[in-house]
Amino acid sequence: MEWYAEQISSQKPFLDPQEGLSAFRGTMDTTFAALPPGFRDLAFDDAASRRTMDTLLAGMFAARGFREVLPSGIEFLDVYTRGNQSISERAFKFLDREDRLLALRADFTPAVARMVATRFGSEAGVLRIWYSGNVFRRVEGRNGGYAESWQVGAELIGQESIEHDCETIVLALESLSALGMESAGVHINHAGVFRGILNALDLPDGARDRLKSEIDHKDARALANHMEELGVPATIGEQVHVLARCIGGVEVLHEAAGVLRHEESQNAIAHLQSVADRLGSWRDRVTFDLTEIDELEYYTGIMFTLFSPARRSPLGMGGRYDSLLRAFGSDRPAVGFSLFMDSILEGR
Amino acid sequence: MRTTLLIALPKGRLFDPALGLLSRAGISTDGGQGSRKLTFQDSEGIYEFVALKPADIPVYVESGAVDAGIVGSDILREQDFSVYEPLDLHIGLCRMVLAAQDGVDLQQVQHMRIATKYPRTATRFFAARSRHAHIVRLEGSVEIAPLLGLADAIVDLVETGRTLRENGLTAVEDVSRVSAKLIVNRTAMKTRAGAVRSLITLLDKVVYANS
Repeated sequence: MEWYAEQISSQKPFLDPQEGLSAFRGTMDTTFAALPPGFRDLAFDDAASRRTMDTLLAGMFAARGFREVLPSGIEFLDVYTRGNQSISERAFKFLDREDRLLALRADFTPAVARMVATRFGSEAGVLRIWYSGNVFRRVEGRNGGYAESWQVGAELIGQESIEHDCETIVLALESLSALGMESAGVHINHAGVFRGILNALDLPDGARDRLKSEIDHKDARALANHMEELGVPATIGEQVHVLARCIGGVEVLHEAAGVLRHEESQNAIAHLQSVADRLGSWRDRVTFDLTEIDELEYYTGIMFTLFSPARRSPLGMGGRYDSLLRAFGSDRPAVGFSLFMDSILEGR
Repeated sequence: MRTTLLIALPKGRLFDPALGLLSRAGISTDGGQGSRKLTFQDSEGIYEFVALKPADIPVYVESGAVDAGIVGSDILREQDFSVYEPLDLHIGLCRMVLAAQDGVDLQQVQHMRIATKYPRTATRFFAARSRHAHIVRLEGSVEIAPLLGLADAIVDLVETGRTLRENGLTAVEDVSRVSAKLIVNRTAMKTRAGAVRSLITLLDKVVYANS
């Protein structure tokens, strides 16, 4: 207090905002202190962690016969609109000199599919590839999300086989174990389970979309009311209800197999059963989860999400997308996954 | 890692109905009264609660900072949140309406201006009726906007209709039926499946006790 009084009496008010702040900052220019919303820098330990994890995964993928690719950082926007509509809406877009729409890499899978279909489309046999890099998605209106995120992933291209489905799932779990996430588990589903039911219903597009979004909300009662409104037959309503609780071990596959009547759904369940039979010692890390639907209709076979009880958001996801390469002129089946490296790094 | 399930409760008009519902479901808590702590637990220590501003609840739940929450459907429909909505709780029931000053025929208004706290909901409502409205976004006391000439009509929540009457407004059309919902974080639904499912079951039994 005395010191404060002295400041005042000496006519040097230390609370003068101008002098106070500039004395604190020195001559530093703060114009660039804030980044564009949704972005961040990595420095020192954070950058070193990323390098360590990247090197570790590179070694692992190489040892399993995967070759690295790095698709172009900028694509024609069409690559994303064909590959994944909801992602293309969030892409950072701009025009080239001929007024063509371009986009910053918003997702690896369509970019890799475009690259493989146009460069290695005629190569025989199975292509095993992996990638590591950043994707950019606009986050305006989304609270706290990052616009730039790091993904590492792998794809097996060229054969539609259950062995490849299993290889992909196991590789994803092995990658997470290598990164110290031994408690991570995988929730596996098959796009055909729900699609069999939806196709059998033959609803107009609007009603189909609303039904899908209600299934996604997981409100069993609202869904039941709506199905009644739409005149969905009780037998099909019952199937939807049974699926809504089908999350657990292989027993949920038996339960679903008992009620699902449509061929596509039956085949999808049988396929999941074969996956279960082939996963061996990884089985205790697997949950069969038939409660989710592929709202974007992006996957054609298995689809899976990786979770850890120690993290607030999924660690990665993947699945089979046999029609994606066809969109780029090469009809080759593919299965793969992406790890969301920022979720894995979070909390370290 | 938390051992309890963390649930956000909305401050304001929904707080007491939400506590009442929890208590009927056998989850008893004092609502954190007299405590200066941020969170409070139920008597059995299974659930932990935090009282938050309603509009912030979906933000916390979406990010996983809290596992689940109770929030009005008016807030959920105003923005796209990626959360599960497994149960309509049938509390905090009210209507969202389009209301105009007594004697004003909105069909005759050339360039309609609408004051609201729900700009996206209002825009969707008019688009679905092939009408264009100029939306003025306000933070509160929307009902006085027509009196001061800021807008021709409002889109807002109505519980009893008294506020509308006091300000010389009449509900012209229903925009939506509003009710509180249970929302759940997408990852918590998978990694805390047992706890989430038992909460849904407990609440469902109370909400639909008579049906």
